[in-house]
Amino acid sequence: MSSTTAEPNKTRNLIFIILGALVVIATYLYLIIGQPTDIAAGLGPSALIALAGYLIGAILIGVGAIHRLPTNTLVLIPVAIAINIVVGQLTAALGLPFYFDSIGTILVAVVAGPAAGAVTGAFTNVIWGLTLSPLALPFAITAIVIGVLAGYAARIGVFRTYWLPPIAGLVTGVIAALVSAPIAAFIFGGATGGGTGAIVAAFQAFGNSLLASTTLQGLLSDPVDKLITFTVVMLILLALPTRFKQRFPFVRQYNVLPGTKAKKLD
Amino acid sequence: MIELAGVTYTYPDTERAVLHGLDLSITEGIVFGIVGASGVGKSTLAKVISGFIPHSEGGELEGAVTVAGIDVVKATLLDVVSKVGLVTQNPFNQITGARFSVEEEIAFGLENLGIPRDEMIERVGAVIARFGIQELRDRSPFALSGGQQQLVAIASIVVMEPAILVMDEPTSQLDPSGTRLVFDIIDRVAEQGTTVVLLEHKLELLREHAQVVAVLAEGRIVLSGAPREVLADDRLDQWGVGSTRFTSAARAAISAELASADSAIPVSLKEAVSYFSGGRR
Amino acid sequence: MTTLYLDRPSPIHRLNPVTKLVGLLAVVLVVFALPQWWASVAILVLVMVPAAVVSGVGGRLLLVTLILAGPLLLVLIIAQGFFYPGRETILFALGALQFSLEGLLLAVGVGTRTAVLVAASVLLLLTTHPGALMTALTERGMPAKVSYVVSSTLQIIPAFRTRAESILLAQRSRGLRTRGNIVRRVRVLLPLVTPLVLGVFVDVEERSTAMEARAFGSTRSRVSYAVIPDSRGQQFSRWALIVLALAVVVLSFTGVLR
Repeated sequence: MSSTTAEPNKTRNLIFIILGALVVIATYLYLIIGQPTDIAAGLGPSALIALAGYLIGAILIGVGAIHRLPTNTLVLIPVAIAINIVVGQLTAALGLPFYFDSIGTILVAVVAGPAAGAVTGAFTNVIWGLTLSPLALPFAITAIVIGVLAGYAARIGVFRTYWLPPIAGLVTGVIAALVSAPIAAFIFGGATGGGTGAIVAAFQAFGNSLLASTTLQGLLSDPVDKLITFTVVMLILLALPTRFKQRFPFVRQYNVLPGTKAKKLD
Repeated sequence: MIELAGVTYTYPDTERAVLHGLDLSITEGIVFGIVGASGVGKSTLAKVISGFIPHSEGGELEGAVTVAGIDVVKATLLDVVSKVGLVTQNPFNQITGARFSVEEEIAFGLENLGIPRDEMIERVGAVIARFGIQELRDRSPFALSGGQQQLVAIASIVVMEPAILVMDEPTSQLDPSGTRLVFDIIDRVAEQGTTVVLLEHKLELLREHAQVVAVLAEGRIVLSGAPREVLADDRLDQWGVGSTRFTSAARAAISAELASADSAIPVSLKEAVSYFSGGRR
Repeated sequence: MTTLYLDRPSPIHRLNPVTKLVGLLAVVLVVFALPQWWASVAILVLVMVPAAVVSGVGGRLLLVTLILAGPLLLVLIIAQGFFYPGRETILFALGALQFSLEGLLLAVGVGTRTAVLVAASVLLLLTTHPGALMTALTERGMPAKVSYVVSSTLQIIPAFRTRAESILLAQRSRGLRTRGNIVRRVRVLLPLVTPLVLGVFVDVEERSTAMEARAFGSTRSRVSYAVIPDSRGQQFSRWALIVLALAVVVLSFTGVLR
């Protein structure tokens, strides 16, 4: 049962993922390049295109990725999502200028790979949408991107060092901000909750377009948030006893963490 | 019903084999107890019998494992799972979370097996009645006590009508009342003809409920037979198994020359009463 | 279970979950397709309000929508009222800042559109048990793994929240303050994260084994145990709604509805 997906399904899942990624990229490019960037566009076709493109893309990637996960990876995800939501809510309640709502996503991505990270991210937004606020749903693609980047960073050995994870976090945060900006601008007109609307308005007051303002607002918070989260995940994994980490095939295969290379030990 | 011959197993990325040339034979329809020290490989053996080794765990498995007529190594996990059920220690970990009510949680396995709805409803109703958990039907599986959750977990497996039920220390996380509930269910399940393989520490309960008891030590089955004899064997200590209170009491009495070394050492309360009253009770 | 679901005997509650989902999608498509600033206001009044009344959960719906969408509408009105670059008609001025009509209308357009998105989604959540939604979707081809992740997460979140709260309580009683400077507040989070994270790693195998022991991941075609009622009328309505919504989208994109 370790290979419950027959061969034709494997291709189908890959196609879903690639198709989803293409839809997302196409949407993004269309919005960035092809559209006026101020709010007048918010009442034009670009809002629907942004919503449809990002949601369809996220669904395709999410479904394709979830089918690739064996059962022992799948059971990690509900707990990781619960961490995302509880810590994220608590961070907001404490009034901190961070999100910290992707600790679980990055943790799963590092020990189980990009597909697992993508699914954790996507479904965190789904659960957030079901329980706290439906406004989280259009941002599912951002969470997917974070999970995928964290997974690939782990795969190439970023978490074997002490200094690379914070940098990888920073880069991931920048990309996350860039992905989120059109969603915030075209779908929500810059107001997505918390103090973001006011910050975006402030940037607009200085003459920036709406898209540029949401991008700048994102760049203020996302890179630092992800830098800290990646670092926290690194520290958590360093403190965790080896026998817990050793059990993950992804960790063994790509030698993700220090001291877990696949070798015979007693 | 269950035949293991020359089974040797090593976990992935380890060097020492946990099971070494293990032979085991279990006849149909009995409650078969297996005792052994902690960490000796009881859970490993449970997984071999139920097919999770080698299909889920990987590692190196040698020897022949034939269960309910299937060669476990050659079959798929799905084939084995339909014939052999596995219940583990922690009740909370066996509540899947996939369903919101006890009734649907019990039906979950049947849904996965593709059983037609009419039959599902009949089987679930029968199991709920047999286990006496009607008042739990509509409740959330997460709102139950540990003992109740373990009953639901066992029900979810028994409803799949496996020929064999493997139970790996099913009461180790339960309080005495929960333990009683589970052992009561074990009797009911055995009455229906299911073969129960029970890996346990609670020797006194094994004496009462098992027809055969075997000892797992040094990677093999080192002793097997009627519970009365096996549980009174004096090599149990060296194998790390320990003894029932009644056995210890009797041995202490013998060394203090307060009791005879000729009569059979007691393992249960009834036997102890008889032993200490010199056979008068 | 942590969704907004409130059990009431209303016709909307009795609808098949997929019908309600299609209704939500149709409403969202329509308000995002129509460019008029008053489009979402019209949908709110003509569609959402009657639905709220019929559903028996109108009070909660109003409350949640106000809490989630209200602040956003306000921020938008202020931001776009004062800073919209295409301003022509000035309504009033505050010092150097000029409040324009165009900005106001735009803010109302986008803000009420968000409000419709929130209201329609929350109505679905208030009237639909998550288990019923998952079963109905799985019957129509949604992967069982998706249903598992959603259902399982929804059910374990309350336990995690309780654990988090008791850790917080223990901290407060030991004098750790949850106000104060940032560093102090961040430190509140740290002892919380570790036990939660351990929950990810501990018992992974036992949970996975339990799923596999119930034949999860089998590729046999499955029938669901629970029965979710549906009807020909609803089936027809779903298709009608989809066609209607797509028609609005096409007409809007081709310029007919501008």
